[in-house]
Amino acid sequence: MLAYAARRLMLLPISLFLVALVTFVVLRLTGNPVDIFLDVTSTPEQVAALTEKLHLDEPIPIQFLIFLRDLAQGDFGVSLQFNEPALSTVFQRLGGTLQLAGTGLLIAIVVGVILGLVCAVWRDRFADLAISSVAVAGQSMPSFWLGILLIQLFALKLGWLPTSGAGGWRHMILPAVTLATFLLPNIILITRASVLEMSGEQFVIAARAKGLSRLRVLLTHVLPVSLNPLLSFLGIQIGTLMGGSIITETIFAWPGVGRLMLTSISNRDVPVVEAGVLVIAVGIVLTNLAVDLLQMLIDPRIRRH
Amino acid sequence: MPTDRSKTAPFALTRRGLGQAALAGGTATGLGLPRPARAAGKTLVVGASVFPDSLRPGISSFASSSLISQTNEALYSRDNAGQAVPGLAESHTQLDEVTTQFKLRQGVKFHDGSEFTAEDAAYTINYVINPANGYGSLARIAPVTQATVVDKYTLNLTARAVFPTILQGLSNIQIQSKAYFERVGFDGLAARPMGTGPFVFQRWVPGDRYELTANREYWGGAPKVDRLVIREIPDPGTRIASLVAGETHIIEEVPIDLIPQVESSSAAKLDEIVSSVGLILTYDVRVPPFNNPKVREAFDYAIDKEAIRRELLKGRGELLQGQLLTSNTFGFNPALKPRPFDPDRAKALLREARFNFRTPIPIATQSGKYLSDVDISNAVAGMLSNIGVNATVNVVEGGVWTQMQRAQRAGPIYMIGWYSLGDADFATVWFTEGSRRSVWKNDEYERLFVEARSTNDQAARERAYHRMMEILHAENPAMFLFGLPSLYAVNKKVTGFGAASDKILRLAAADIA
Repeated sequence: MLAYAARRLMLLPISLFLVALVTFVVLRLTGNPVDIFLDVTSTPEQVAALTEKLHLDEPIPIQFLIFLRDLAQGDFGVSLQFNEPALSTVFQRLGGTLQLAGTGLLIAIVVGVILGLVCAVWRDRFADLAISSVAVAGQSMPSFWLGILLIQLFALKLGWLPTSGAGGWRHMILPAVTLATFLLPNIILITRASVLEMSGEQFVIAARAKGLSRLRVLLTHVLPVSLNPLLSFLGIQIGTLMGGSIITETIFAWPGVGRLMLTSISNRDVPVVEAGVLVIAVGIVLTNLAVDLLQMLIDPRIRRH
Repeated sequence: MPTDRSKTAPFALTRRGLGQAALAGGTATGLGLPRPARAAGKTLVVGASVFPDSLRPGISSFASSSLISQTNEALYSRDNAGQAVPGLAESHTQLDEVTTQFKLRQGVKFHDGSEFTAEDAAYTINYVINPANGYGSLARIAPVTQATVVDKYTLNLTARAVFPTILQGLSNIQIQSKAYFERVGFDGLAARPMGTGPFVFQRWVPGDRYELTANREYWGGAPKVDRLVIREIPDPGTRIASLVAGETHIIEEVPIDLIPQVESSSAAKLDEIVSSVGLILTYDVRVPPFNNPKVREAFDYAIDKEAIRRELLKGRGELLQGQLLTSNTFGFNPALKPRPFDPDRAKALLREARFNFRTPIPIATQSGKYLSDVDISNAVAGMLSNIGVNATVNVVEGGVWTQMQRAQRAGPIYMIGWYSLGDADFATVWFTEGSRRSVWKNDEYERLFVEARSTNDQAARERAYHRMMEILHAENPAMFLFGLPSLYAVNKKVTGFGAASDKILRLAAADIA
């Protein structure tokens, strides 16, 4: 397993190289960043200075090599908007997003797995039909709309929670729940399907034959292996979660990296966009590695392959 | 449970008494240690729609000026109506054509306790006008060549030519302490602003909040509140919810469609003023069909602007009177009237001009840049369709928009707002060749613009602007739509606050009852 992890880690620089290349090319395809960042009234000197600073006077392949060289030294350049190192700008705001996404993910997994189990155990009964149909409906509900509804209900009507902003844990609840609903319906449905599928496996029948109780079999034999498809799903969905955090952070005025990326993209703050995309890419690659390793730990059948 | 909420939301309106507020006041002076987050006393919380990228001085944006002017002040500032009023200077006299003398206010203290003198003003202005420093707002006082200290409280500014809008220009130049500036450098000013303003810097959290405390020694009278928190709340619905919930006391930029939410709340009310932003649809007059003045005139007749104002702006703001300038701007020509809505005449004019009705006419606009921009564009496109024009709306992303503007390829019609900040000079410049924005050229207009800029004779300036407005009205380089309102919503307990036409938060007199 360690060898496998090492092999995967060796692939990391290749993934990052590809991400860096795509980000680099796309940012330059959407127009000259200097034209976008500087105002129309800017002087030719300002244009020349910024062009030189971003090495835009060099041919594109050379620009990319310079970018890679700086990258190797951990230097993403200086944010055009904030006038400070791009990487520290991203890290400054990353904490907020990780907090929010982590809490949202936790809520989604705990609630989703429990509801999915309920559906599987009472298959085709009222609880299953009710939860499954709400989940399907939830899948099609735009989450910005849910966010607004939650603010109206819990902050305005009931006055239990603050409407927005960062502060204590109470500020976290509404945005985290909103973010959780990006994943919740799928988690419920996947858990349900997977538990039902595993329940017919031979090792389950064997466990039942040993005389273990239904509940014990469900929790110790069926559930762990059922989590595998769920983990694969979550690994893929980390990107979705980052996308969802942009909307959620905007609605709830949450100071995170999602909003930073949004303003940086529309201002073409090239260094911040590049740093942000790469940091997020590293996060996604590592998460997927962790997911794979976790799956090997959980399910002995994968380890053998 | 309002009491419970005010206790737990850290920055909400507290109900603690005035005695404690006075107590806190004693400790809030000067550049003392940052006070703990849950300080006693009154905290005013403002919900801003957008934050500047940093507290760096000299960025020419409303959002930046609004935050910077909490701590730093200019020699002349503006009031909420946009008129120049004395700030750190008490008065000024014109010594000769190009030299202006400023008498400075005496006894004004910086937040670090040092006294404000002509040295500080001269140092700041000489820094700003040095092109090597790349100061953002340099353009506002570009004609100034030198600031000279006459005595401790007297400052002379020399310009390379007559500079009639020197006071308006200076209102964008925030004065720094010379000693502090020299010690911390330009980046230090952004990291920790320090000036003579009504509030003292405490903490800046990008994307979240700006925290300040009252400057008890403020020359204009100590602020009525002890602490000021300005929060960035980008979503307008959330901004209004935060006001209704009592978490904020004042919010900026209320969109028209959410006004009913403010009006239906028992805790909040709307506060509005006509801004100096004139919203217009600019034509590309270089190419058909808009190189034909008849087509431009026809389009003006085709749009029921009053109906759009009534329905989409809910009767707010003002109808531009067939010219670029809003009625609150120096240079506004009261003799001009907008063309009436007359679709038949529009159709007749278009036929006369042999207009090809199949030509696609996309109207380019950004989304959310100006109040109801996309809605207004849609309404205009709809009214054009009513007379058979093949009009559509093209909503453009910010970065792409800037590129289109720079290349002067924004399509046949695009929506833009020009603000004047009270003087025609700042708005009329955009239709001159030198602005690099206009594709329409007019020799008489160019000449009058330079004329108005080259004299201190206000009557002569006004005559020039009146004539320039006549030219714009006759030539229709753009369709003149609305003077946009500046809309705020405030908690009914707030007193001493007024909506500002230039979107600068003026909070020194604001109080929470």
